Amino acid sequence: MATDPWEDELASQLRSSFTDVSLKLESFHGQPFATLEPGGYVKAVEFLKAQGFDYLVDLTAVDHPKDPVRFEIVAILYSFAANRRVRVHTRVGDGEAAPTLTGLYAAANWLEREIWDMFGVAFAGHPNLKRILMPEDWQGHPLRKERSIVAMDQEWVRANLDIESGQ
Amino acid sequence: MSTQPVNYLETSELVLNMGPQHPSTHGVLRLVLKLDGERVKAVECIIGYLHRGVEKIGENRTYTQFAPYVDRMDYVSAVANGLGYCLAVEKLIGVEAPARAQMVRVALAELNRISSHLLWLGTHALDIGAMTALFYCMREREEVLKIFENYCGARLTTHAFRIGGLQYDLHDTFEAEARAFCDMFEKRIDEYEQLLTKNPIWVERLRGVGVLTAEECKSFAVSGPMIRAAGVNWDLRRAQPYSGYEQFEFDVPVMHGADSYDRYLVRVEEMRQSVRIIRQTLGRIPGGAILAKVPKVLKPPAGEVYVSTEAPKGELGYYIVSDGSQHPYRLRVRPPSFMNLASLEKMAVGALVADVVAIIGTIDIVLGEVDR
Amino acid sequence: MEMAANSMLNTLKRWLLLDLLDGLWVTFKMQGTGNIATEQYPSDRPKVAERYRGAPRLNINPENNETLCIGCDLCAKACPENLIVVGTVRNKETRRLDLTTFTYDLSRCMFCGLCEDACPVDALELTQDFEMASYTREGLIWDRQMLEEGPRPTQYTR
Ligand code: SF4
Ligand code: SF4
Repeated sequence: MATDPWEDELASQLRSSFTDVSLKLESFHGQPFATLEPGGYVKAVEFLKAQGFDYLVDLTAVDHPKDPVRFEIVAILYSFAANRRVRVHTRVGDGEAAPTLTGLYAAANWLEREIWDMFGVAFAGHPNLKRILMPEDWQGHPLRKERSIVAMDQEWVRANLDIESGQ
Repeated sequence: MSTQPVNYLETSELVLNMGPQHPSTHGVLRLVLKLDGERVKAVECIIGYLHRGVEKIGENRTYTQFAPYVDRMDYVSAVANGLGYCLAVEKLIGVEAPARAQMVRVALAELNRISSHLLWLGTHALDIGAMTALFYCMREREEVLKIFENYCGARLTTHAFRIGGLQYDLHDTFEAEARAFCDMFEKRIDEYEQLLTKNPIWVERLRGVGVLTAEECKSFAVSGPMIRAAGVNWDLRRAQPYSGYEQFEFDVPVMHGADSYDRYLVRVEEMRQSVRIIRQTLGRIPGGAILAKVPKVLKPPAGEVYVSTEAPKGELGYYIVSDGSQHPYRLRVRPPSFMNLASLEKMAVGALVADVVAIIGTIDIVLGEVDR
Repeated sequence: MEMAANSMLNTLKRWLLLDLLDGLWVTFKMQGTGNIATEQYPSDRPKVAERYRGAPRLNINPENNETLCIGCDLCAKACPENLIVVGTVRNKETRRLDLTTFTYDLSRCMFCGLCEDACPVDALELTQDFEMASYTREGLIWDRQMLEEGPRPTQYTR
């Protein structure tokens, strides 16, 4: 991805406050985002919350199975005062637990449950980490890249309709 | 022999299962209520009955092919969903829809807001016990759906917009239809208000029910009419205008009661403002192209964007990650209903069971969007 | 003073249920028969819009009764649900593709219109027919003949 550097007041504040962890500040199509290690991730969100970013717009994940550290966690924050959004990214490996944001935003509760359900990324410290959309007894995590939509469809159609799926 | 005295009047908690097949849960929402008498002590929402894996489907379709699926999330505001999706992809490929397309989009999106709010008003009133309003709301909604049908050939899951603009140009009678609708509808809103706003039963059932303060709204990432009823003047059409909303004059209704009654007032006023916006588009829709130059095989450059719009239910966002191929690498939908519903677990605590019905109604959820 | 009078008035209004009656008046006004929105389907069939996206049709050239379809497969490629199968053979003489079969699985179609938009010769079209119900899944898989002739819904008479 061809990104631009993220340069403004907030960026320099971030840079000066996070000198001990690796911090990358980029922007794409004018949308700034910061990438940190899991250790600095909650701290960065906390820092931004103190700067007025008190609205957790969204929290989601992206699966990169080919990368050494597989899951990218993306938090989108919004500030009413500054009327702008920033994203905070971090990476966690398969089987590792990501730090939770439930202590900062109530909205993180369901969003983290959804990430657990869809990707199988656990959140350390989450009060009620269980499936939210898929049935309790479902095996696996559907949004991982190895789950093929066509294979899932064919399996289901064969088992339940006794015909071959047209997919 | 037990030494403990037997207390025959011992009260214990009752766990009540409500839904997923319950007329007032607006679809397949299941609530597990922990009750102390009539009071709710705790509530857990169980969702996912309508999960179709929209995000997974998105990863397996081309950008163009995915557009019809977004209509099926919040199926009562398909036009708004389509608008958000098209804007997100347009941002990713760096294309802007022509002026004519933008104005048409606004007009249709506002009509859609009216139809969505109408369905909400009708069903909410029905839940509370005022059956009449539903029929009136459905009757007016039908007029909106007819306009959609004449415009693009479908009523509910419209697939009205395409990436880069529109597929269908406006039909000749659009302006006349929209004007007739506005003229008729303004009077109808007065009628709804006459029916409900001061009705003592309606007021008693909604005043002070389901209070969610501004702070709580922000913490739960609640958006749309719910946050505006809590005194936060925040509407994305105003805060971060898209598709040419900056050209239009409209008010953002804000109330301070943070309860179900104020949410009702906000939504009713929003319908009035939508009529106002539609009237401003009439006679002003510029000529020219309706579709920008977009390659037939769409391969956005690698990158990621988050674009959000003010859908009838709140902030509807699309977070799209592209890896340079024809298919989105990751397509995340930020569903307003999902986020708003999460606040139910807070709002319903301490309420009466009968009020839970009112609180579900006031959130304005569509389970197709909650579960995707 | 004025405040007190106002609150008196409001209390009186409440007691006399004036606001409630005000709402009931709206309901009462709808008694008139000029206000009917119900359609008497199926005895009165609704007239759907000109652009309505309903049952698919494979158009035939009225001049020579041959299909308009050139077997280019673009509709099948455009379809998100991947439900169109176009069968063609290469005609040795004209060196063009001749259409042999065309199946369209209506049970999975969402009438989005992408196939219709993709067709370069307007052979495939979503028409105004909306009565496509079938008792079986197989009944919804339309072959070329069905697509060319169109559905034949039961006509109910009183
Ligand atoms: S209308 Fe849409 S779903 Fe149906 S065949 Fe055409 S492209 Fe496929
Ligand atoms: S796109 Fe049109 S011409 Fe091509 S195969 Fe389909 S129906 Fe035939």
